[in-house]
Amino acid sequence: MRASDLLKLAAGNLRRRRTRTVLTVLGVVIGTASIVVMVSLGLGMNRSLVKSFQDSGSLTMITITNYGDGMGSGKKSAPQLTDKTIDNFSKIPHVKGTSPSLGVYVTAKSGPYEATYNIIGVSQAYLRELKLASGSPPAPGEELSLVYGNQVLNSFHRGKNWMKSYTVDPEKETIFYSFPAPESSSASAGSGAASSPAGQSPGDSGASASSQPAPQKKFILKTAGIIEGGEDDYSQESNNCYTDIDSFKKLLKKIYKKDLVPSPARNKNGKPLRYYVYDEAYVFADHMDNVAAVQKEITDMGYSCYSNTEWLKQTQGTLRITQMVLGGIGAVSLLVAAIGIMNTMMMSIYERTKEIGVMKVLGCDMGDIRNMFLTESAMIGLLGGIAGIFLSFGISVIINFFTKKYGAEIMGFSGGGSLSLIPLWLSGFAILFATLVGMISGYIPSVRAMRLSPLAAIRNE
Amino acid sequence: MILGRFHEREGREVEPIIRVRDLYKIFHIGENEVYALNGLSFDVYQGEFIAIVGTSGSGKSTCLNMLAGLEKPSKGEIEIAGERIDRMNEGELVRFRRLNVGFIFQSYNLVASMNAVENVSLPLMFRGVPEEERLRESEKYLELMGIGDQRDHLPNQMSGGQQQRVGIARALVIEPKIIFADEPTGNLDSHTTEEVLALMQRIVRERNNTLIMVTHDPNIAAWSDRQLRVVDGKIVETVIQKESPIEKRIYEEKHDWPFVKTEALTSS
Repeated sequence: MRASDLLKLAAGNLRRRRTRTVLTVLGVVIGTASIVVMVSLGLGMNRSLVKSFQDSGSLTMITITNYGDGMGSGKKSAPQLTDKTIDNFSKIPHVKGTSPSLGVYVTAKSGPYEATYNIIGVSQAYLRELKLASGSPPAPGEELSLVYGNQVLNSFHRGKNWMKSYTVDPEKETIFYSFPAPESSSASAGSGAASSPAGQSPGDSGASASSQPAPQKKFILKTAGIIEGGEDDYSQESNNCYTDIDSFKKLLKKIYKKDLVPSPARNKNGKPLRYYVYDEAYVFADHMDNVAAVQKEITDMGYSCYSNTEWLKQTQGTLRITQMVLGGIGAVSLLVAAIGIMNTMMMSIYERTKEIGVMKVLGCDMGDIRNMFLTESAMIGLLGGIAGIFLSFGISVIINFFTKKYGAEIMGFSGGGSLSLIPLWLSGFAILFATLVGMISGYIPSVRAMRLSPLAAIRNE
Repeated sequence: MILGRFHEREGREVEPIIRVRDLYKIFHIGENEVYALNGLSFDVYQGEFIAIVGTSGSGKSTCLNMLAGLEKPSKGEIEIAGERIDRMNEGELVRFRRLNVGFIFQSYNLVASMNAVENVSLPLMFRGVPEEERLRESEKYLELMGIGDQRDHLPNQMSGGQQQRVGIARALVIEPKIIFADEPTGNLDSHTTEEVLALMQRIVRERNNTLIMVTHDPNIAAWSDRQLRVVDGKIVETVIQKESPIEKRIYEEKHDWPFVKTEALTSS
């Protein structure tokens, strides 16, 4: 028998029992729609989750930390983060770039306004990752220039009036920078002021600066650009300034001479080290999916590190359970629909016992009889699947309308994102799945039809 | 190709197309064994119109069902066109019917949702004949049955006689070697019965088809070339219509009718 004939026969039979077909299809429609809507909610949540993580920092970045060098504490401490060890990170597979992080806490003044923040020297690899609203990242070897975090420039305020902030435009207004006073080895050893690490508290550094005999030198630094984002968009980078590390090192050398940095790491004898030791370093993986592997390598090397992706994955894991529960709820209604299909097919076969018998007497192949009923139930599934997708899109639009309108207040859901998301693959998959469910639930009835005795055709009731 | 596979072999020796030997069908009802068929043996020749006559419960329908491969015999051999159908499984039987057998039912058994021409073309559809070709072929047979004007009518828009003509056309459309008819006029009034029987007899003779009909009515059986009277699962009498051309030919060639002599033989 030809496939076209099978389809025509099946369609004809469905049309013959229109009401019953419509009702059965309706079951599949509801089943499909409930699964699709549930999954779409999960997908939408996942997307907004990823988005919110992306907004707060790069998803390929791994942050390696090594604060408090446990020297003398007896514990086996992590190896220091130096230019040399950071170089080793770049040899790990899937690592695209590395960057040390050399931060100095500075005081910035513009007219009567004042602010304090970190200037962080990072590698070109890091600077390339920054998304700038204007300007371009500082090029290597050039005169030192700054990339401002999007929340830096509006953190200025007058005197001690912390409540009222003021926004500085670095293009129009001049910002004078003063660096913390060098914590010279003799001074710190004598006065015992080393207990408070300079550069961590602006008050202290101000006080010590005023006690210094030499007046502090003020610097004017060029502006390279501003990081993307509004005043309220917090991210890892929004409160810092970034610059090329090599230019930054040059400047710091001028100020701190051999100490290199305001509060250098010291050896056992309390002498400042003559090379750079970093508190933080960054490694960029070539893809989000490789972050975990790279992170493991770094941990195995004895460093402690973290990444946004790590958090994201954990949160996604929790979300997946939610998704499964939601999908399960949807699946129950599709299961009910499948039972409905089976019931309809059983009824139909019961009614058509004689017709099936006649077909067998006339020489219709057993497989063709089975396929005829399988086609019918698959069609019910297909119709239900298609209609279900349309219904899902409708429900999705309604959900998104309400979450956009009220979601921000109720759930703290950031505006713009849709809660329900139906990608093309989900639609295709749902239709395919519904058809498959139709065929599966039609299988037993159709085999039963195939096995019916042709003698039924002979009986005369 | 599929159609016209079998052509009448004029002038050749007549030979049995169906050979039945020691056919038994035993039903087990509780402790008892009921012999629906109790050792049937007969031959049917190509081109013969055979009537199996008997009262209800005589085993005539069981016999037909077995010849058509709808029921399995308990014992015995059935050979049709050189194939042992008692040894076939259900799938093979279905295939055998598709290629060799036409069937006419008492209650017509047309598919209610299909019009006349679609009903006739149903067996061709099972053979995988393309729609256009099979509808063309089916229309030819509707014309042959004299109901070409009914082609677009649904079964419930036709009279019983018309429906049975559609049924006959459906049996003929595959140009089968053998046609089985189960009380084909059982639901028709006497006038229509005459018409339909005359038509069946004419077509079978013209086309040299083999037709095996089951009936309880001796008057209807009288239309056939040869009647097999069945009582309690046995052939008790064979009635040969000696004027029928095919029977004449068989006698000329064979000089007797095998298996007929052993039974009570009367001529009408």
